[in-house]
Amino acid sequence: MSRLNETDIQGFVLRGYNLPFARYVFLHFEDAARARALIGRLLPVITTGQHWDAGKPQSTVNIAFTHRGLAALNLPQATLLSFPVEFLQGMKSRAAILGDTGINAPEHWDKLWHEDSVHAWLGINGQSPAALDARCSEIQAMLEQTRGAIQLASQDAAAIMDDGKPTTREHFGYTDGFGNPDYLGVERSTQPGQGKLMPDGTWAPLATGELLLGYADEAGELPVAPVPHILASNGTFMVYRKMHQNVATFRVYLDEHAAQYGGGKEKLAAKFIGRWRDGTPIELSPDKPDQSIVKDSNRNTNFSYGADLEGTRCPIGAHVRRVHPRDAFGFNGRLIDRRRITRRGLPYGPPVPEGQPASDSDERGIVFMALNASLSRQFEFVQQQWIEYGNDAHQGNDKDMLMGNHGGKGKFVVQGDAGAANPPIICANLPNFVELRGGDYFFLPSITALGMIAMGLVDPR
Amino acid sequence: MSNINGKVYAMNAITPMKPWKTWVVRAILFALGHVNLLRQDVVNLSFIEFARWVVVPRRGFPSLGGGQAKEDLKYDYLLFFSNFNGTWNQYIDAFSAVLSMGLNLVWRWSEKFPGSVPVTPFKEYIARVQFDTDYYFTAYPHATANDLKSAHIVQASFDSLVRRSRQCTPEEFKSAYLNFVIQVQAHLGETGQAPIVF
Amino acid sequence: MPNQNGTVYGLTILSPIINDEKASPSHDLQIRNYLATLPTGEESPFALAPGTHLARLVVMDDVIFVGAPAIEEHLQSKYLIFESNCDGDLDTYLTGLAAAAGQHLDAVWSHCVGYPGAANRPAFVAYMKACQIETTFFFAAVNNKSVPETLRALQTQRAVADFIARHQRIEPAQLQAKFAEFVTRLESEPPPKPGSAGSPRAIKTGGRNE
Repeated sequence: MSRLNETDIQGFVLRGYNLPFARYVFLHFEDAARARALIGRLLPVITTGQHWDAGKPQSTVNIAFTHRGLAALNLPQATLLSFPVEFLQGMKSRAAILGDTGINAPEHWDKLWHEDSVHAWLGINGQSPAALDARCSEIQAMLEQTRGAIQLASQDAAAIMDDGKPTTREHFGYTDGFGNPDYLGVERSTQPGQGKLMPDGTWAPLATGELLLGYADEAGELPVAPVPHILASNGTFMVYRKMHQNVATFRVYLDEHAAQYGGGKEKLAAKFIGRWRDGTPIELSPDKPDQSIVKDSNRNTNFSYGADLEGTRCPIGAHVRRVHPRDAFGFNGRLIDRRRITRRGLPYGPPVPEGQPASDSDERGIVFMALNASLSRQFEFVQQQWIEYGNDAHQGNDKDMLMGNHGGKGKFVVQGDAGAANPPIICANLPNFVELRGGDYFFLPSITALGMIAMGLVDPR
Repeated sequence: MSNINGKVYAMNAITPMKPWKTWVVRAILFALGHVNLLRQDVVNLSFIEFARWVVVPRRGFPSLGGGQAKEDLKYDYLLFFSNFNGTWNQYIDAFSAVLSMGLNLVWRWSEKFPGSVPVTPFKEYIARVQFDTDYYFTAYPHATANDLKSAHIVQASFDSLVRRSRQCTPEEFKSAYLNFVIQVQAHLGETGQAPIVF
Repeated sequence: MPNQNGTVYGLTILSPIINDEKASPSHDLQIRNYLATLPTGEESPFALAPGTHLARLVVMDDVIFVGAPAIEEHLQSKYLIFESNCDGDLDTYLTGLAAAAGQHLDAVWSHCVGYPGAANRPAFVAYMKACQIETTFFFAAVNNKSVPETLRALQTQRAVADFIARHQRIEPAQLQAKFAEFVTRLESEPPPKPGSAGSPRAIKTGGRNE
């Protein structure tokens, strides 16, 4: 395949920056011409996928648009209509499909999302709060000078710190940051277990078209994309979801059920996700966490479930097994190669160390973003069929333990064996550990496409 | 009219075949029915409850007189009826990803079949040859093929345990019960309502 | 023989629908209208008569023109397709349908050529067989369990999951006693009715069967 032109692709798509501070700014356009001028001003500071040979920058900037945003920029009707249906409708209209009902329904979302006024997302990351603020001031100045957009709201997020050092932990105490897929042509530190499983047991990168529009995907064709090609190529779609975490509820639930569980509290917590809280995959180390595995990039994502079809090591309904079944569905993993997503995001809100009191009503959680070439085939499918439902994993209607929209019902089965330290246990009457507070679908254009949008040069075919 | 009832989707499709090709299809379907290897993949895909192909030769449409003319057709027709779990897109995606050779074997003899890979032209073809169900009944709308198989496993284990429980001490029972739980622990998914088809 | 797969029978019936230009609405539309209001749950004729796992009724207007260079052609008659996946042998199944759901069958099939009515059982069975097409290939995920066995297994599965969840930390003597009570209760529960969908939900799939 042809080499990727990394200077044309927004850096946010190609790699996680590992900059520990972020601000996500949401914009509304009132006038197309002024909005285009703003994009023109922003263009030179948008971070591309170019390698940082001179070291990490102090801050990065990336931009994405909702369908309403593209319409507000006066893209031609024919172009607007050529976008996939789910992007046209937006995430709020798809709430029933995604299982965003009850407490996750749009009427409970943050005010920002109530009026369908979000047109653009700016993702700003920084090495320090000062660097972040400096960059945001610069952008604020551009907003004022061009009068190109109103800032509706912003969301701060930051890595949870340990003695001032950023970690990849989230608020329930789990170490995150594993498992982003490898794609052909995307240069990043790859490791076995992230791509697709080959018949001989090795891992190969996924087709580029699973992430980027304009390239062949795993089905041997170009993914459905808007026209003209030049608007779509090197772009991708992004899901943004602000997930509130009920830390108090989680801790109480874990403690109560750990008291009944022969394997102990940390093991039960590991069974929920499929990794010990330090990141060790329980498939590789079922009895205890093992930092030597976590630190070894050849091992920490390199496992499959073929020898554990009964779920005795990693429960069949555990989170990592649900969202990346590897070989659990047979057929050498071919049923899942087109259901992978790239995740970005950071926690938000003040962390509460174990042992200190936490409250569910405190504003804390995780800003979850997913990047994929097809929202319906990738993110929406995983959300609907593998998180809020379990039939493909032979778990009927059972939902993902931590992320599912349980409403106090449902159950999670931890499969076990006859050993005292690994008994079977059913966790029932599941509360909502996580609540959706808002979000939408965005289109992340290439640098070329941004330039065309800025100059008002998008032509329908 | 609905193609959907609970967790199961009724797909109907009709494709024309030049009559000489019908014999090839009959031979292939015969082989599929008698050679286990070919059938195993369909079993493992595990979201089809029942499915059938029906060859209707051009002179094979029932004619009961009543003053209505017999059919006078150039093509034979291949009818396909499937009862599957999941969404239309999911179903076709899975077949295209995993069973493309088998599908091609049966459908390549139908006029203008584009092949089952890549998936987009395949979906367009199916959309063209699919016709809709007027009335759909299932005795178990809240269960998928996976749920059914699991339920039978649980029933069998349960019957075993019930027999055992009548003749043992509490300690013996505790151990038999643990074994029972381990046997059924992967088969306890709740049945209920389906996600929205999209 | 291809219609049979284990204990399940794949019945495919194509009944020509009466062509009568003077009928208004036409016979095929009358069938459609009737089917649109026929219940698909516990009150379905296929729930009241025994042996139906899954069944569908489809009015097939015509064959489909797939596009040039294929030849365009048309059927002389429309057909009512009846596809059923059922237990047991064909004669028992058909007579069971006629006995339990005669008036529904008549309401639908009276629009088809040569239909004798469900009351005359032998003629009814003969008519259905005259319209039967051999199923060329029949796949069944589960081919050895009847409808009542299946419904009972689903009931057991649900009850067992519930029992296990509620009795996780319990003394052996108590467990055995509780289990015995559970077995008695489960055995005395009425078998679930075919076609029952469980509790209603807030969101619609888009299927009419909500």
